[in-house]
Amino acid sequence: MFEIFISYCFRNPVSCIAVFITLLPLILIILKKAYIDPTFRLLLVYLTVKLMIDIIMVRSAANHENNILFFNLAIPVNYALLGGMFYYKFNSPTLKKGIIGSMVGFLAFTAWDIFNSNPVISDLHNHRAVLFSKTVEGVLIITLILLFFYELIKSLRIPNLLTFPFFWVCSGLLLYYSSFIFIAPVLHYTATWNHSVDIGLTETIPTIFEIVCALCFSVGIYHFSAGHYAKQ
Amino acid sequence: MQNSEELKWALLIASLAMLTMAFCMISFVMYYQKRRFEEEKRISDIEKNYNRLLLDTALNSEETERRRIAQDLHDDIGTMLSLTKLSLNQLSKLVGSSGNEKEDQIMRKSQSLVEETILHVRRITRDLVPTTLERFGLMEAIEEFIHKLEEDNNLAITFLANTDDFPRQGQKLELTLYRIMQELVNNAIKHANCSKIDIRLEINDQMIGLKVTDNGVGFDPEKIKENNLAGLGLLGIESRLAIVNGTVQYEKPEKGGASAFAQIPVMPVSDSKPEPLHPFRRERVNI
Repeated sequence: MFEIFISYCFRNPVSCIAVFITLLPLILIILKKAYIDPTFRLLLVYLTVKLMIDIIMVRSAANHENNILFFNLAIPVNYALLGGMFYYKFNSPTLKKGIIGSMVGFLAFTAWDIFNSNPVISDLHNHRAVLFSKTVEGVLIITLILLFFYELIKSLRIPNLLTFPFFWVCSGLLLYYSSFIFIAPVLHYTATWNHSVDIGLTETIPTIFEIVCALCFSVGIYHFSAGHYAKQ
Repeated sequence: MQNSEELKWALLIASLAMLTMAFCMISFVMYYQKRRFEEEKRISDIEKNYNRLLLDTALNSEETERRRIAQDLHDDIGTMLSLTKLSLNQLSKLVGSSGNEKEDQIMRKSQSLVEETILHVRRITRDLVPTTLERFGLMEAIEEFIHKLEEDNNLAITFLANTDDFPRQGQKLELTLYRIMQELVNNAIKHANCSKIDIRLEINDQMIGLKVTDNGVGFDPEKIKENNLAGLGLLGIESRLAIVNGTVQYEKPEKGGASAFAQIPVMPVSDSKPEPLHPFRRERVNI
């Protein structure tokens, strides 16, 4: 069992690095006590959930099982957790309400998309990736990031963005979702069990930027100061 | 097969374009934020300089007005009083020769009142414009000020400087230090109910420090700042210091009383000196 897992990791090093690099920001959040900030507490939950889902997916892939179901299920969970982070960051009550509304709406939309993309939902062997949800998730997250950047520029509260932890988190997410936004809908057609289509290097781009995203998270968390946060 | 190749290239180009946009967005936010901060800093500096200029002008006007009043007192009232004294002296001789005791007594009383008034006018003139400061420097001016205070009050005032030969500073700096010392000592006498005041003057290559300590009732500087209780005197000290980039710290020594420590960076000495009080010459003085 473990040998199959290790052998899969050696055959797909980039994917496995993308999975296990999540440990770096996760450990840093705990070491730097960044979880005292509700935003980073949600990031900790997000990273834990992501790591668990990714490990399950790697295990399934190593055992030649269809793991797309986990990919589909992770979409609304990821959006809820990442959106929650922005919920704490925005001051405007309208935006906060908008985020809560979008979470509920997106959950319903993803459920519809899963059923729409998989007419026979019980057939897990031929389960396919959602057609729209991942792209919509990307659009929503990028919109939240851009709104946050706009508020950041408007308020002029942060003198040096390079030492502002959440700026790094936003940058990492922006890069990751930008790299995935066009590839996500294509996966519905290419990532199929019987007729999979190889899209070559393009498929690796989001994985590479998943690693970049985790590194950006780590840099941001490294700049987090529990003492400074307590003073605020 | 060809479609698959085209799809790969299309996806690759679209993803790279999106990533480029993301990179540009992050760089733009960083650059724009930095530029706005620089702009804000520039505006704040301009505002600060403008306020400083306003303060400087206000204080200059105050000094000019003091000088004008002193000049008027010296030139007009002083001269008139001297002439009155002269006339009274002549009259006294005439009254003395007549041998009327009562008239002679009234005459002497009038002479004494005129002399006293002349002394008062001189004191007020000196208080308005510290001529000793302009002529001999800070140490002599402080010593003179202490001497006068000790004459009028039952106070023990000590003055110590870390050098015997205190170098002359620019007029503005000397006047600022003198006025601050005056204000702090007057505050101690008026509010602290003290019996002893200690004045220390220190100079090194970069800074001049003035420390005034008393043994009075003392005050809590933090409370005064928090509750906006600082009167015009303390605000005046801060305003004067702001013009010369100086700072002031108030302390509450453990043994009681209060202590104020003002620090001013040493500035290059300018050549222009204010005109001394002189009859028939009234010029605006820029300090």
